[in-house]
Amino acid sequence: MKPARTNLVWRGPVRLFLWFALLSVAVPLFALEVPPLTGRVVDSAHVLPASDVDWLTAALKAHEEKTGNQVAVLIVPSLEGEPLEEYAHRVATSWKLGRRGTDNGVLLLIAVKERRLRIEVGYGLEGTLTDLRSAHIIRDEIVPRFKAGDIPAGVRAGTEAILKTIEGTYEAKNRSTARRGWGYETDALQLVFVGVVVGFLAGMVLSQGLRRTRALFGSVLAYLVAQSAGVTLGVVAAAVTAFLLWLVLRTNRGSWSRGTYDDWTWYSSRGGGWSGGSSDSGFSGGGGDFGGGGASGNW
Amino acid sequence: MDTMRRIAGGMVLVACLSGCGYNDLQGLDEDTKAAWSEVVNQYQRRADLIPNLVATVKGYAAHEKDTLEGVVQARAQATGVQITPELLNDPEAFERYRQAQAGLTSALGRLIAIAENYPNLKADQNFRDLQSQLEGTENRIAVARKRYIDRVAEYNKMVRYFPTNLTAKFLLHLEERPNFAVADEKSVATPPQVKF
Repeated sequence: MKPARTNLVWRGPVRLFLWFALLSVAVPLFALEVPPLTGRVVDSAHVLPASDVDWLTAALKAHEEKTGNQVAVLIVPSLEGEPLEEYAHRVATSWKLGRRGTDNGVLLLIAVKERRLRIEVGYGLEGTLTDLRSAHIIRDEIVPRFKAGDIPAGVRAGTEAILKTIEGTYEAKNRSTARRGWGYETDALQLVFVGVVVGFLAGMVLSQGLRRTRALFGSVLAYLVAQSAGVTLGVVAAAVTAFLLWLVLRTNRGSWSRGTYDDWTWYSSRGGGWSGGSSDSGFSGGGGDFGGGGASGNW
Repeated sequence: MDTMRRIAGGMVLVACLSGCGYNDLQGLDEDTKAAWSEVVNQYQRRADLIPNLVATVKGYAAHEKDTLEGVVQARAQATGVQITPELLNDPEAFERYRQAQAGLTSALGRLIAIAENYPNLKADQNFRDLQSQLEGTENRIAVARKRYIDRVAEYNKMVRYFPTNLTAKFLLHLEERPNFAVADEKSVATPPQVKF
């Protein structure tokens, strides 16, 4: 009698647990993973000879240096049941091909097992590499070669046609100006702001102590809040807080002493240096966006 | 002391405004409107393709009158729905618009299906071109709808969650917005397939 009862009590939770365990394994299987962006040509199906990969990479790189357009090629062995269009859009948006704002990226996706392919075009190139032009490239340049069994030749011809079409649409920007400005998301800046407010208020509330201690206390608090967005931003928040506290406390009592000024310049020089200098060798997307433009085909 | 109080007061006020979601709500409000414009834009693009498509099919299959007229009528109905900014805040008008577009989607599906029976039509260069443009547009519609669905879900959450719902209700007078159902999202996401 007793064992039966325990069984009844436990069966529910155990079954639930098993379901969850099963789900957590099953869910990732449904969505095909986006492969890491290891280069301009990602051939996870291993159908391109190394010489072709090198040739394509060189051509795509030269094109980007001239025009700023980011074109990438992805060949997957299978779509594993996912619709081609959805997968292409997912890859293109997570790779963020093209520059942010100009959205000048293109993805050529080929699924070997399904014998399907797609040219996914970023917002900024939809005007030149139209759906129609993409369809023509697929139909006239790529598919005949694929049908003849020569996938490398099809990829080469298709890529060349894409590059020719989008030649002259944009000019490559100077590398220094093309940097993405501050490069921090608004969330990070909000954290800095909150840090400054918290630190400032804390510094004000603390009625005891020297100006120096109060400013220090406030800026340390600001740093603690903002540093989860990065050490540099934490230092910036601390510097701003210290400056504000000094400003207010100075008008409050006493005059601006030489030492405080030196402190402030020390803070600001620490906070002023934005980290930069990403390596040039690795290829990465520039933040471009895709709206579903392009064309699909099969062979 | 006075300056200090003013600065502190200002900071507290700004912190409160961001805390109760004033800025976020305003931003999401604009985002949903922008996402909606993109949806309308892509549907309009599809409607613009239809006269050419119908004319081309007529050249090969003039006696398929019912299907052709069905498309023309569905298009007239879809473009007849007036698109005003209020459409977003009026679930009934939104539903009318959605249904008119869904009607056009199925009428177009029938048109593409009968094309299967006409080898000459399928081989026609003009028809193939229109076909790929139509496919492209359907895909853009799917993307635009998906973006709208995501935006509105975020916006609706903010409008309903506490305490941002107070800001939405009493300060900004924002209401929940209608969204596309996921069920009919599926039917749109798979464009009509034509094998050549």
